[in-house]
Amino acid sequence: MSATGPTAARSVNDGAGPLLVDADAGSRDPAIKVSSLTKRYGEVLAVDEVTFSLDVGTVTGFLGPNGAGKTTTLRVLLGLAEPTSGEALVFGRRYGELADPASRVGAVLESNDFHPGRSGRDHLRALALAAEIPSSRVDEVLALVEIEPAADRRVKTYSLGMRQRLGLAAALLGGPELLVLDEPANGLDPSGVHWLRSFLRGFAEQGGTVLVSSHLLAEVAQTVDQILVIDRGRLVASGRLDELTARGRTLEDVYLELTGGTS
Amino acid sequence: MRAQLRAELLKQRSTTTSVGLLAGMLGLVLFAVLLHGLGLPAENVGGSSEQLMVFGRGEFLGALFAALVGALSITSEFRHGTIRPTLLVTPRRGRVVAAKVWVSAFIGAGFGLAASALAAGVGTAALWVRGIDIQLDGGDYALLLAGGPAAAALWAAIGVGLGAVLRNQVPTLVGTCAWLLFVEGLLVGDIADVAEVGRFAPGALGEAISGQDPGTLLAPGVAAVLLALYAAAGAIAGSLAITRRDVA
Ligand SMILES: Nc1ncnc2c1ncn2[C@@H]1O[C@H](COP(=O)(O)OP(=O)(O)O)[C@@H](O)[C@H]1O
Ligand SMILES: [Mg+2]
Repeated sequence: MSATGPTAARSVNDGAGPLLVDADAGSRDPAIKVSSLTKRYGEVLAVDEVTFSLDVGTVTGFLGPNGAGKTTTLRVLLGLAEPTSGEALVFGRRYGELADPASRVGAVLESNDFHPGRSGRDHLRALALAAEIPSSRVDEVLALVEIEPAADRRVKTYSLGMRQRLGLAAALLGGPELLVLDEPANGLDPSGVHWLRSFLRGFAEQGGTVLVSSHLLAEVAQTVDQILVIDRGRLVASGRLDELTARGRTLEDVYLELTGGTS
Repeated sequence: MRAQLRAELLKQRSTTTSVGLLAGMLGLVLFAVLLHGLGLPAENVGGSSEQLMVFGRGEFLGALFAALVGALSITSEFRHGTIRPTLLVTPRRGRVVAAKVWVSAFIGAGFGLAASALAAGVGTAALWVRGIDIQLDGGDYALLLAGGPAAAALWAAIGVGLGAVLRNQVPTLVGTCAWLLFVEGLLVGDIADVAEVGRFAPGALGEAISGQDPGTLLAPGVAAVLLALYAAAGAIAGSLAITRRDVA
């Protein structure tokens, strides 16, 4: 997939790798900056001193086995959970301090966050009202994710693939610069995965930044240009795809080795 | 805040939950008032305070269902996961809770008015059919029709607060029903010393607002102020509970 190679914008970070803190911070905030982030649930250390920084325009896979701490990291990043220590910033601010979050960040954490008795269109309209987005934008995103014909049906009649698209439509309402998707390919059939890949590629080609998590490397390998690998709460690897495979091993080998080979 | 109010109004209108609750409430009002109005012996519905009690089923059921509207406005977001997109577009969580309080109070007032009007109308008709003189004057009717919506609006706010604290739908709804249908009945029951305290309970305050049982309960104006304090406390507690705790 040559189309996923780094663009000029993405190579600002060339050679540094995403782990290192942005050298030209100050001139432009990184899209995401996570510093010594720790999140503890009672005895469980869900996220343990995680640090990384993602430049604007990058497409990053956030990989790790189930229970590694991906969702928890994203929840803190999106202001849904408070960190135990450390911080997670989007565009230089805490999510809750963004002036108009929907126009900066679009996120999907769960694939089924809908009231089953509400139509897809009304779900989007309610979010648009809250974010003061014109209702014409609802029609636009419905067209963008290709679920217009089902828009006035109740969500309970939607297939999983349609729900994923509706979730994505909600994330896109404000025309965000950054998309954060948690396991978006989970349960999708091959055509759904294919659609999602080409969608993300298109979003990135227009300059968007993407952070997409998955417990399956193969799901994102064709879409992303750099990866973060988290295991048992700790960031165990990060870097550009081509660098990680340059050591003469397949990416799969690297991933399995890093995550204990149980994926 | 305007934006959140409009969003919450649309959320309420775009499912059948509110209409279903309204229908259920009106059915119960009809049932309760007809049962009492037609079924009770004439000597038990002849006095004004007895008639107020029958007509007051409207206020009671209006308050109960308004509380359910308020509670569901927040617990259903946790149940179905819509709380996540809701908070992603409005990270200022206090605004979300405040919008739910105002919109639920507005809809709750409508529920209260519908229930009180139906109870007063059907109750009057039932007694009239039996040839029992109506002992209530215009002021009594006015208090029923004004107190019902006021009590229901305040109870809707209490429902939002309780739902925001508990988050879990079933315990919230069961707790609300159990309190109003059972616990308060014991508090304002036959034990005089308990009733002395029980009249300050929020359900009893709602009944007092619509003018019921003036012998035992507080005066309507005092009751309205006290119930408003309960509502404010509920809304503040709910706002704090939503703001301070993580959303999984
Ligand atoms: N709300 C929570 N309460 C308690 N433990 C949690 C909670 N959320 C996540 N965890 C725990 O934190 C760890 C990381 O979970 P998670 O971030 O969901 O992993 P991933 O998304 O990578 O599968 C797991 O051990 C999980 O059980
Ligand atoms: Mg997860």
